[in-house]
Amino acid sequence: MSSGNASSVLGLFDTADALMEAIPQVKAKNLGRLEAYTPYPIHGIDDALGLRRSPLGGMVLVMGILGAITAFVFQFWVSAVDYPIITGGKAPWSWEAFIPIIFEVTVLFATFTAGLGMLLLLNRLPLFGHPVLASDAIKAITRDRFALSIEAEGEGFDAAAAQAALAAAGATGIEVLIEPDRDPFLTSDYILRAAGGIFVSCVVAGLIMYGAVKLFPVLPPMSHMEDQPKLAAQKADPFFKDGFGMQEPVPGTVARGYLPLGVSSQEEAAALVNPLPTTPAVLAEGKRLFHIRCELCHGPLANGTPTLTAAYGAKPANLQSEQIRNYPDGKIFWVITMGKNAMPSHAADLTVDQRWAIVHYVRALQRAQNATDADVKAAEAR
Amino acid sequence: MRSDAASIPSTLPERLVEPPLTEGTVTPGSLDDQVLAFPDRRPPLKWYLALAVTLTCLAIGLVFMGITVYDGIGTWGNNSPVFWGFGIINFVFWVGIGHAGTLISAILFLFRKRWRNAIARFAEAMTIFAVMCAGLFPLLHVGRPWLAFWLFPYPNQRALWVNFRSPLIWDVFAVSTYFSVSLMFWYLGLVPDLASMRDRTTSKLRKTIYTVLSLGWRGAASHWQHYEKAYLLLAGLATGLVLSVHSVVSFDFATSVVPAWHMTIFPPYFVAGAIFAGFAMVVMVLVVVRETMDLKNLITLRHLEVMNKVILGMSCLMGYAYFMEGFTAWYSQNTYLEHNFINFISGTYGWAGWLTICCNIFVPQLLWFRKCRTSYFWMILVSIGVTIGMWFERFSIIVISLHQDYMPSAWRVYKPTIVDLGILLGSFGLFFTLVLIFARVLPVIATTEVKGILPDAQPSHHGDGHE
Ligand code: HEC
Repeated sequence: MSSGNASSVLGLFDTADALMEAIPQVKAKNLGRLEAYTPYPIHGIDDALGLRRSPLGGMVLVMGILGAITAFVFQFWVSAVDYPIITGGKAPWSWEAFIPIIFEVTVLFATFTAGLGMLLLLNRLPLFGHPVLASDAIKAITRDRFALSIEAEGEGFDAAAAQAALAAAGATGIEVLIEPDRDPFLTSDYILRAAGGIFVSCVVAGLIMYGAVKLFPVLPPMSHMEDQPKLAAQKADPFFKDGFGMQEPVPGTVARGYLPLGVSSQEEAAALVNPLPTTPAVLAEGKRLFHIRCELCHGPLANGTPTLTAAYGAKPANLQSEQIRNYPDGKIFWVITMGKNAMPSHAADLTVDQRWAIVHYVRALQRAQNATDADVKAAEAR
Repeated sequence: MRSDAASIPSTLPERLVEPPLTEGTVTPGSLDDQVLAFPDRRPPLKWYLALAVTLTCLAIGLVFMGITVYDGIGTWGNNSPVFWGFGIINFVFWVGIGHAGTLISAILFLFRKRWRNAIARFAEAMTIFAVMCAGLFPLLHVGRPWLAFWLFPYPNQRALWVNFRSPLIWDVFAVSTYFSVSLMFWYLGLVPDLASMRDRTTSKLRKTIYTVLSLGWRGAASHWQHYEKAYLLLAGLATGLVLSVHSVVSFDFATSVVPAWHMTIFPPYFVAGAIFAGFAMVVMVLVVVRETMDLKNLITLRHLEVMNKVILGMSCLMGYAYFMEGFTAWYSQNTYLEHNFINFISGTYGWAGWLTICCNIFVPQLLWFRKCRTSYFWMILVSIGVTIGMWFERFSIIVISLHQDYMPSAWRVYKPTIVDLGILLGSFGLFFTLVLIFARVLPVIATTEVKGILPDAQPSHHGDGHE
């Protein structure tokens, strides 16, 4: 047994009492740092070895408080600042409701500090290369024996003297531990290979995923909610003889509110007359609907400057142009109903009356933007 | 200087002297040979048989879970107005089962009840498995389990946040905290035992696994010092959780306006019920473990007797809670509450109400007799009774209150479907499968903790304050 690079000398004791008695004796000789290895915690050994109090309590307290603050600030910010929605009639900043989660997060932070702080920070585990783990004594230590070790501190460790001291203190077995030149279990080589293996499997898994997504159409996992026993417009349906889901109206009937216009082009539509009176109520309704339906493309003043960004490719017409100002009401009505080129039809969105109300409002906008002296005088007179 | 702890002359009357916590002579070495040797032995045939049974239950459950995920929760019995059926009943039931483990490992640790050491490991494992079973139900109940992560507040493209004023979100936090804290507590206790297993196992594969899991634990005094501190702190933190988790679960009910849910007694009532049900489960499992794994000298009849006393105490608390429900219904003069209480004892589900009352209040009264507390037959009978009773208690709370609430036009009788029953069976299968596997691969008794309380384990000038 060479003691050239001995890292520590380990003496085994049969009982906790024997260990406790040996500690002061060996300590008095001052040969190096003392450490004990025991199968279970021994009362009073901290004082005997002169260990400092564990700082864990303070760490846990600080992290617990941090957890509480984090939970409060986060819930406050979410509920009252970023996403203030009133639910259950409770105000967004109803802090009482935050208490359960503050408590839970406090416990969570504190627990992880206690557990991981103890293992990783204070005890510096995992550590698989410690000489004690490679010793013959470890089997006895984790079972029922107690070991006292004198550990080398820097140069000049006298292993022979340490052995003698432990023997004198009554150790039943003595072992000199050598600093292992390489980690017996988790060698860096092993770790590198493991990391390489994980990397390769990630790449392979990624390629397989890519292939799978490419080959198979991406389907939503379950779509049973969409399968409903109802009639859908474009679907076949066995209910009717002809097997169509959508049926033609019965010949000779007209749906309520869908009286045919009786015209078939914008030119013919010039003959249509606006049936609505020009009352403030009609204009107000026209204004409301114009803002909802038309403004995004034609602009608030209907002069063809959209509030929609340029992302909309086509150029909406300027409704203040000479040409359109001279349109009869019917032609504007026709465009709203049927659409034109890039302009979509609004027949499904607006009832006939709503369309006529918008026409009135477009007229009002045109007149306001192209007011004559007479108009100004009339307004002043009022 | 050395003195035998047993030979210290005691001035206490014999009745009051604490009997030893183990039977026969137990030394640290014999303890290891008894408890840690299981993984190195071939399991007996009966273990395989038991596993076959539990795996069958689990498989049946998985089929019905598959049906639920594929077809949606329309396959369950829930429908207006009973939107919370088996899913929530089973969730509350399983979370409750877990509470015994945390109580034993945390509260009894703080009270320095040393008898807990022999049973703490098993009870903690049961906590973890029970919470896993519990988690299953809300997961399935959300309908699209693959989106269940929406329950957590994380920054998302939808620019939405969870509603922190909802008790359901409190539940998400409470149960996930409970699970992680229990797991941490359990693992911390396991580390030194895993190190013992590492150093004694004969198989290379197991040695590698136990080496990694034990993190290279070497029993250094400087490590034990931090370890004990951490354990104490965790016990303190988990104590808060024992009280908080089931309180938060009860908030799901108590903060609503449903008659007989909107009650301030709910949190303590739920916590007591949880401990009650959990202890019954632990007693049942421990009796089986004690017999089949030959641990009679470590898990003694005295352990079981003490646990039975806890069950009895909790049973009396439950009796008080049920009485208070009736009293509140009468004293509040609230028609809806009265109606609900009458439903509890004589409505469509009156049988469930009476089953609850009999199993939870009357049957456990047997435990007043020492003979029943120490006889397998009676304690198993009581424990099974309590497990059934507590399940039906949750059934009564949820179904009776919901099936007839404020609006008579919406009243409807709730019936579970075969899918509901299958998933419940599956959760029992999952629980006992995990218990069986745990019993074979990990130390079922916290050997390190038991070693520390054996006679002579501690230096004589420190033992128990004797000089
Ligand atoms: C999606 C954008 C969009 C919306 C919404 C929209 N329009 Fe247009 N509109 C256009 C475009 C683009 C044109 C130019 C079509 C063309 O002549 O190519 C146009 C043309 C017109 C014309 C002139 C038609 C002609 O004969 O030259 C009128 C009148 C008009 N829109 C009225 C309206 C009214 C009223 C509304 C609200 C009900 C409305 N538009 C909503 C895009 C829109």
